[in-house]
Amino acid sequence: MALTPLEMAAPDVTQLPDQEKEAEIAGRSPLQIALARLRSDKIAMVCSAIVLIFVLIAIFAPLIAKLFGVEVRAGDPSSDTDIFNFPVIGPPDHGFTWKAPLGLAPNTGDDNLAEWLYGARTSLGIATVSTAVSTLIGITIGLVAGFSRGWLDRVISFIIDTFLALPLLLIALALAPIITLRFADQPTTLKYAQVIALTSVLIFFGWMQLARLIRGEVLSLREREFVQAARVMGVPTRLILFKELLPNMMAPIIVSISLGLPFFVTAEAGFSYLGIGIVGVPSWGQTVNKAVEYFDTYPLYLYAPVVGIFLLVVALNLLGDAIRDAFDPKTRR
Amino acid sequence: MFGYIVRRLIAGLLVIIAVSMVVFAIFFYGPNDPALAYCPESRCTPQRLDNLRHNLGLDQPAPKQYAEYMSGYVHGRHIASGGISIDCDWPCMGVSFKYRVNVFDYLWKRVPATFSVAIGGAICFLTIGLFSGIFAARRRGTTADKAIVSTSLFINAIPYYLLALLAYLYLVQSLSIFPQTGYFNPLDEGPMKFIGGMLLPWVMIGISYSTQYARFSRGAMVDALNEDYVRTARAKGLAERIIVRRHALRAAIVPVVTIFGLDFAYLLAGTIFTEKIFGIQGLGLAGLDAVTRTDLPIISATVMMGAAAIVLANIVVDILYSVIDPRVRLT
Repeated sequence: MALTPLEMAAPDVTQLPDQEKEAEIAGRSPLQIALARLRSDKIAMVCSAIVLIFVLIAIFAPLIAKLFGVEVRAGDPSSDTDIFNFPVIGPPDHGFTWKAPLGLAPNTGDDNLAEWLYGARTSLGIATVSTAVSTLIGITIGLVAGFSRGWLDRVISFIIDTFLALPLLLIALALAPIITLRFADQPTTLKYAQVIALTSVLIFFGWMQLARLIRGEVLSLREREFVQAARVMGVPTRLILFKELLPNMMAPIIVSISLGLPFFVTAEAGFSYLGIGIVGVPSWGQTVNKAVEYFDTYPLYLYAPVVGIFLLVVALNLLGDAIRDAFDPKTRR
Repeated sequence: MFGYIVRRLIAGLLVIIAVSMVVFAIFFYGPNDPALAYCPESRCTPQRLDNLRHNLGLDQPAPKQYAEYMSGYVHGRHIASGGISIDCDWPCMGVSFKYRVNVFDYLWKRVPATFSVAIGGAICFLTIGLFSGIFAARRRGTTADKAIVSTSLFINAIPYYLLALLAYLYLVQSLSIFPQTGYFNPLDEGPMKFIGGMLLPWVMIGISYSTQYARFSRGAMVDALNEDYVRTARAKGLAERIIVRRHALRAAIVPVVTIFGLDFAYLLAGTIFTEKIFGIQGLGLAGLDAVTRTDLPIISATVMMGAAAIVLANIVVDILYSVIDPRVRLT
């Protein structure tokens, strides 16, 4: 049943001004469409503003700390705390003071604001590095597995499955005391060793999902005409992978990055809360762990890191969900 | 089917052996000297350290130590250390550095607490998640649906441990709305005390984990309700209740089972947060405790048990999958 020209309503071209018509049929890449969708999403905009503020705090932590006149890890238990190990200035006993806007920590006398600012730095720093490296690993392994038929693909798939079966939390648990034992007599090295160990564990367990996704995409894309055409023209495999296939997989990669960041922030804070993450460097999770026992008498000590984790993770997560929806052509708008 | 199960079990065994090697390597090559971890506060004379190394077999080459360690899983071992000797019956996972007891016995006593948390929590999150998901799917597009979707999205964005910690601090510690949490043996202290101690952990796991299930089951249910066979069922005049329960739910439950299997395994391996926050003496807390005491045998045993739980759950899920979804054939 073909349509005859008479059955089709003739579009009334003359009524549309030329410019508007051009704008309407202007080609837009999927990325542009997704960005336009994101821009009209109010929750996404609010969340990205919050994330941006945290990023700025993390970058300029030393500067902001100086502005408030506070210093990180500079507490002196003998002069800053009383006989009950509570701080001698500021909350909970002495009211607000500009010398320590968020108060001092019991026992150590460290400044809470400085600790919080540098905690943001640790949190976002570890999350960013972990996301970046695990994304790169995931892309590379996914591309290789998808493009190489046969045994290499099977070996990589087995490795991916094995890694998915490993409990991340338990491996972190196993690694923590080892790092401490190894560098027990070198406190400075221990500090960095913990950060590096935690980041590596997160990277180690962060790449499989994306690798699997990319592998699947490559499997379906590599049979497409444009890839075959490139192969016929004699384009080297490396270029086919990175110039032809990779640009077609930007959507899953961006979505995986945006959902990976909050996962790593949550994991870092969670591990540090359990005491198997970072000890030597300020971290929100570690402050939460120390502050829980003071909740009854000194709730502010706990609130600062809790609010930090809460705002950052919720904003990142909701932003990630919004990005996923924006890139998904199936979502109705 | 039988061949499939056997093959999956062998593959699972390979994964567990791989985990054991990783764990062993971490413990063997990681610390400068494992014997130091055995010494209380590192106050041992060099001669005593030498003795320890010899007794613990730490002066042996790595493959031999690994073989010795693994042999404990097959049959019992006799471990002599620091003047005392301990019979480590099968399945031997080593002897705790600090408590000088068989690690398996020590951990086995804590298994009921962890299982109580995981099973009770799983029942809670499955119920909450499935019911709200199905409820939302049947009222798609209404305010109730939107409220459920956005609430679950928001709760899903909050880290579980923050939610649980704040709930504990406010509802138990400050306001005493819930009874003191913890594991109380239902046989010794009565079932009411047991349920009281577990109630808040269950509720928190239920709320936090259910969001994913609400979303999944809502999506699957919406798809299922749009299928032709549901229209046919409606056309022949079946009650909506029966259509939802018998026809649509059967199709919608398949993706839920998949994520449930994995979640339950991770829940078993990852009750650490729940146990630490609510003070439940389970496997996770034993592992954490061992970290602060650098009790390496307990840590390695906890990791092995967790890995075994995840591998087993994966196999069970795949088998269940073929039972629920007749389209899946195991070969």
